[in-house]
Amino acid sequence: MDRIVRNFEKKPWRTCSHAACLFILSCLLPTFLKAQAPDQVPELERPVPILTGNAGFFTNINGGETELVPSINPVILLPLGDRWLVESRGEFKGEFERRDGSGPYGGKVEQEVDYLQVDYIANKYVTVTAGRFLTPFGIYNERLYPIWIRSLQPTPLIFPLGTGSSDGAMLRGGFSINPKVNLNYATYFSTLSTMNKFESDRTAGGRVGFFLPGPRIEAGFSWQKELQDERSNAFGFHFAWQPTPLPLNLRSEYARSHDGSGYWIEAAYRLSQVPFWQKALRRTEVVGRAQQLFAGQISLADAAEYGLPDVNTRQGDFGLNYYIREGLKMAASYSRRFNSDGNVNLWTVGIAYRFAFPLGRVGPQ
Amino acid sequence: MKVKIAILMAVLALVSLVCAADPARKSENASLAVPVAQSSAEADAMRVHGEQRYRANCGRCHAAPQKFPPRMMATIVRHMRVRATITDEDMRLVLFYMTQ
Repeated sequence: MDRIVRNFEKKPWRTCSHAACLFILSCLLPTFLKAQAPDQVPELERPVPILTGNAGFFTNINGGETELVPSINPVILLPLGDRWLVESRGEFKGEFERRDGSGPYGGKVEQEVDYLQVDYIANKYVTVTAGRFLTPFGIYNERLYPIWIRSLQPTPLIFPLGTGSSDGAMLRGGFSINPKVNLNYATYFSTLSTMNKFESDRTAGGRVGFFLPGPRIEAGFSWQKELQDERSNAFGFHFAWQPTPLPLNLRSEYARSHDGSGYWIEAAYRLSQVPFWQKALRRTEVVGRAQQLFAGQISLADAAEYGLPDVNTRQGDFGLNYYIREGLKMAASYSRRFNSDGNVNLWTVGIAYRFAFPLGRVGPQ
Repeated sequence: MKVKIAILMAVLALVSLVCAADPARKSENASLAVPVAQSSAEADAMRVHGEQRYRANCGRCHAAPQKFPPRMMATIVRHMRVRATITDEDMRLVLFYMTQ
């Protein structure tokens, strides 16, 4: 007891925070135990743990230099009770090049923990998330990043702005304001972490979006405040539209931060309405993207680390996707990049596969 | 450190709210399962609505996935509810469409 009192006198905040942690854990324990108890959902409909994710192999030719990029992103989904979900995604990505332009391919395999989070669906308005999560800034990072989903394999130039992963807590949800409008939101706080594979910056931010299910239009706004270093602000807009009569998907984002600003506009059109060669064309998608980045106040080292061009850059992308079967697609793209470092051609061709396996008995389909 | 304490207190307040709301949750629990149709006409209507919600919500990001067994779909839809901030009603109708 004397030691606790002495500690409290020396570091009162630390002792208080330990006590608060213990109290919170003791509050959470009954809820967690309750989640383990059998619920009213029939056995055959009770969610089962799943191993899912994607794997792919792509060949990139960047300005004449060939790079082989195999990758696998396993996702574990572990539902607990009827309100909890533990979910995690890892990334294992190889980047192999010929050294000096000849000889065998060599390089490194990057390993990342994209997210490792606990979700608690408190009610129809709020889901509480804690742990490491994808930063909710724009729509690309959270929803379009997986290689089996993205229409063009090269990520947008502005992708590193405001995105990545955060360690902390988040409140999010989506609900109908009226039958024609859904509102969705996410707000979070992230702490500074230098732990290996769990690096994050100290930030706070959020995103608000409106979705009109009738015309299938989505628009939203994101913001982020850095609570360290330059304490800079970032903000962005996103817009998406899937016109009902056409197999067309239009998406765009704008982002502005201390490190730069820019936009991308993308259109993906599935050739399912072309009246000839239907067997092949209904599985084919053509994609175009225009994008521009205005370099910000960023050092060369930081630009290289984040994968951001350090000079103003314009880029046009054109891609072709062929869906061999559900979850398996071949993708190819060509991009032309214009900037003061020299204009270059970027080619990508490869294959992406989405897998999903139950980690328990599922019963009849 | 003060900020950390403030965050912990906010979490504490949230947990207290959740615990306090616990008795009223019994009726809500059923909404997280596959909804049950009372008649075949209602089931048909729910299927149509479910397909509409499915195309509107899931089609925003990716092509139509195959139908998985109900226990897998229940997990996937819960994951997508969080990931894509799908509304509670949309989630239930999509789950009905994908499993019935």
